[in-house]
Amino acid sequence: MKIVVIGGTGLIGTKVVSQLRQFGHEVIAASPNTGINTITGEGLAEAMKNTDVVIDLANSPSFEDKAVLEFFQTSGRNLLAAEINAGVKHHVALSIVGVDLMQNVGYMRAKQAQEDLIRQSGVPYTIIRSTQFLEFLAGIANQATEGNEVHLSDVQFQPIAADDVAYFVTKYALGNPVNGKIEIAGPERFKIYEIVTMFLQHSDDPRSVVPNGKPVYFGGEITKTALVPAGHAELGAINFEQWWSKQLQKV
Amino acid sequence: MKKGKLPESEMPVYTDTEEILERERKILLELGNDITRVREKNDLLMLFRKRIKGFFYFTHTIVTLIDYKDETYIPFLLDNDGSPIRSHARYQEMVQSRFSLNEPFIQSVLQSAEPISFLLEDIMDQPKSPAFLRVNYEKGVREILMTRLMKEEKPMGFIHIYNDKPGSFTTEFRNVMKGIASQLSSAVSNIIKNEEILKKEKEKSFLLDFSSNIATVRTKEELARAVRTALSSLNPPGGFVIRRINEDNTTMSPYVYDLSKTHDPEMIRALERARYPIHDGLQNRVLNSSIPLLFNVDREIQRGITSSYLQYWKTMGFKEIVGIRLRNGETNHGILFLDIAEINIELLQGICAQISIAIANIMANEKIHEKQEEQAFLLEFSNDISQVRSKQDLQDAIFRVLDKTMHSQLAMIRVMNDDGFHLSAFMFDRTLFENAKVDFEKMMATPITVEETYTAQVLASKDGLVFNVEEELRGGNAYAKLWKTTGLKNMYGLPLRVGDKIIGTIWLLANKLSQLLLKGICAQISIAIANIQANEKLLAYKKQLEVENDYLKEQIKTIYNFSEIIGSGEHMQKVYHLMSLVADSNSTVLVLGETGTGKELIARAIHNASPRKDKLMVKLNCAALPANLIESELFGHEKGAFTGAIDRRIGKFELANNSTLFLDEIGELPLEAQAKLLRVIQERELERVGGKQIIRIDVRLIAATNRNLEEEVKAGRFRADLYFRLNVFPIHLPPLRDRLEDIEALTHFFVGKYSRNTGRTIRKIAPKVIQQLRSYTWPGNVRELEHLLERSILLATDGALDEVYIPQHTDPGKKDIAYLLNRSLEEVERSYIIETLKRCAGKISGAGSAAEVLKIPGNTLHSKMKKFGISKSDYFA
Repeated sequence: MKIVVIGGTGLIGTKVVSQLRQFGHEVIAASPNTGINTITGEGLAEAMKNTDVVIDLANSPSFEDKAVLEFFQTSGRNLLAAEINAGVKHHVALSIVGVDLMQNVGYMRAKQAQEDLIRQSGVPYTIIRSTQFLEFLAGIANQATEGNEVHLSDVQFQPIAADDVAYFVTKYALGNPVNGKIEIAGPERFKIYEIVTMFLQHSDDPRSVVPNGKPVYFGGEITKTALVPAGHAELGAINFEQWWSKQLQKV
Repeated sequence: MKKGKLPESEMPVYTDTEEILERERKILLELGNDITRVREKNDLLMLFRKRIKGFFYFTHTIVTLIDYKDETYIPFLLDNDGSPIRSHARYQEMVQSRFSLNEPFIQSVLQSAEPISFLLEDIMDQPKSPAFLRVNYEKGVREILMTRLMKEEKPMGFIHIYNDKPGSFTTEFRNVMKGIASQLSSAVSNIIKNEEILKKEKEKSFLLDFSSNIATVRTKEELARAVRTALSSLNPPGGFVIRRINEDNTTMSPYVYDLSKTHDPEMIRALERARYPIHDGLQNRVLNSSIPLLFNVDREIQRGITSSYLQYWKTMGFKEIVGIRLRNGETNHGILFLDIAEINIELLQGICAQISIAIANIMANEKIHEKQEEQAFLLEFSNDISQVRSKQDLQDAIFRVLDKTMHSQLAMIRVMNDDGFHLSAFMFDRTLFENAKVDFEKMMATPITVEETYTAQVLASKDGLVFNVEEELRGGNAYAKLWKTTGLKNMYGLPLRVGDKIIGTIWLLANKLSQLLLKGICAQISIAIANIQANEKLLAYKKQLEVENDYLKEQIKTIYNFSEIIGSGEHMQKVYHLMSLVADSNSTVLVLGETGTGKELIARAIHNASPRKDKLMVKLNCAALPANLIESELFGHEKGAFTGAIDRRIGKFELANNSTLFLDEIGELPLEAQAKLLRVIQERELERVGGKQIIRIDVRLIAATNRNLEEEVKAGRFRADLYFRLNVFPIHLPPLRDRLEDIEALTHFFVGKYSRNTGRTIRKIAPKVIQQLRSYTWPGNVRELEHLLERSILLATDGALDEVYIPQHTDPGKKDIAYLLNRSLEEVERSYIIETLKRCAGKISGAGSAAEVLKIPGNTLHSKMKKFGISKSDYFA
């Protein structure tokens, strides 16, 4: 099969591309760096020629509310238009668990808009809603740091390893279109301050976690269960400890 | 080491290692200098072909580049001259191919920091090995030396060096390749950069050229030329079509196109004229996409898009088409469809931006042009209209304009009546009503007032209203059925105003009308109608004035043109008295009297003494007209009422409205006309001949006749009822012979009048003349007297009227034949002598005496008087 991975040079993208190549598929890792730009349309039509599956893992270069909405709308429209023209048979996109519950957050509205465009496009699709990646922990800690303290709430958190995400994306990309959404999550559920505490301890970080922050994510207030799957979800195989040991190996 | 014979005989053979190193160094140095000069592919080719080949033996080289996007490598530079595989059947396929990096052969090259050689035999049949190995082998190549090209620590491509003699890749060769690998890498990078720059330059200059061409574009034709020129210089030159969104915003039509791919006139015509719905599944996709869309014609047909252009494209052999929306700001103008498979976004968007602006400009231009045309048209219409004097002219002008220029149909122009409430039909298109097969008369008979729903709405609006025919039809309006028959979509109702005054309404059927045109035309029509109305009134006044003028002239000419009636005798006093009694009233007066007694004079005097004296008395001589014209004279006629009635004519009755109609010689009126006259007198209203309108009149009648109407009635020549109607107030005028006392005054009056007229001064009238005049019986009454005097004045020689020429053949026995017949000669003789004496004022002999009249000597008369016992008391009674 010919598979185009939009955002194929990113965190999840590189993993998905290499996995798919191992299966022997013809894979194009699309990104502005490789001459395929979903915003300008550059190289898009050529890349789509004879393509069977498109996996959209692209993320906005800016996280400002308006910019992010514009990115996902423009990118989504252009991509889907090109897919329709090329007769693409399956569109796989990565989204976020609880995206519909957090519409007060600009980024979530943009992701929702992306999902809506996919649903309305007529291209057979699978939307994979994932929880946050374990790789985000450092960032979450930094973002909540005040002086030497990290203020975090007791929001439920079930992070998943990027390798697991890549595994699920590959799996669903090679399967039949679900024409709906599925949810994936990590194998363990925490309160957010717990896992960040663990993370900081593991990395010998001197900062201490204060578990009294407001339940805030991406600048918007959320419910305590918004970030975790409400119903059935496929769970990754890699838990925090396994993930951590792998990180150490890489270092 | 060197097994193969070297073609270059001068090449020295080194055996010493140091010398070899020295030679390597020299080669590297020389090559290094050359490599730094490499700017384009050809330079690199020459380097391999001329320089490296000068040092070492090989068959050919190829440079391939890695594409990380899909982990492949692709041919970049091909040394065609030396390549033995050019004749291979799969050569072209090899040139086009992408070779995967995920196979052992190329992976071992990637892993190897140094140039690595393979015997083709060993590797070409390994699974996943690239096909070019076998292709080369089949053409005699035996060994390959692969050198990695690195860029920023990452492999960027390979140099393939092929050899048909195994073992030709010496250590020296390998070392040299290793030595120049990094320089070659930068050379290849430079070539790529240079090519990119060149390509960008080319694009830029293309866009610049296109831009300067487009900048001068003012019309559609110029745009077509510019686009055609530009696109034909693209590589490969493709067919194109620019479709523009039509005014209805639901369809698109070809605007500018290149149909050189087909020569089928039918197809061209079909494509040129088409109006494709925008939402056909493809056009809307292109319009909604911010990026150019490449689509496959067959796939779109399979998708189920039925628009005919796809079939035509297929027939014309188009496989893949790029569609780009033409957009200016937030407005889509159309689509550019291009027959190219490669999308160069920057170039296409550059082209489209220019075309969009050009189209916007052309459209703006066209709009201005259209406006100008509309204005010119309005000017012309204004000229036409300004020459309009009649309703027919206006109708012609309006129909011409509406039908030809505006593609609309005039339904109706209604004009406000004087009452300011009713609106009557002024002008309409009959064909409309014929098509609708409705009872037009019925429709017309329904009076329209300002309160009628549509009319009220239109009159209340400033610039009129538009009614959608379909909607109104659903609303169940009877008029809408009429409108529907034209097939036009909208009914435009506009008020016609001149200044603030509402003149009427105009109703136009059309699909779409320009507001400017509508307003302009309505203003013109309003003024034209106002002018026509004014003109019609003017014409009516003018006609009336002309007729009145005629009467006045006639009156001036008439001999009775004096306001005084001469005579103060007893008889006339009686007449005066009667006149004064009747003048103030509106009663019909019947003036009776012998011919020449001045009946018209009396009628005029009555009129002049009446309250109607400010208006002109109208006179009709019933005896002076052919019987069949009397009716039209009396009542007027409409245009076309009968043969020869080429114009509308106002009858005497109408003319005499609020005045007096003098019917002279009423006794001569034919019986048929009498009936009509009777009706008018009774009803006080009339209809014009051929007309339908009933006109109410207020006319005072004065009739005159010299006939004895009672006898006429008895004889059946005059209707009794009419006689009684007329005989309301009879005035009998005495014959002149009964008012001898007035003869002298009349004589003086006429002598004075004719002296002035003829320029002969009559200073004296002989008494004998007066005597003679008095003794005549005057069968022609005053008129005879007047003419007799006129003749006498002309015959008078010395300023004195000495003689009058009284006709000799008088007929005194006209009075009563029966009376004359039953008497004896003696009686006749006696009474005749008495009568003659009376007339001659008792003068018996001499000039103007009875003896002269009787033509007997005075003595004989004396003796006859004695004989018959005639005394003075007999003739001076």
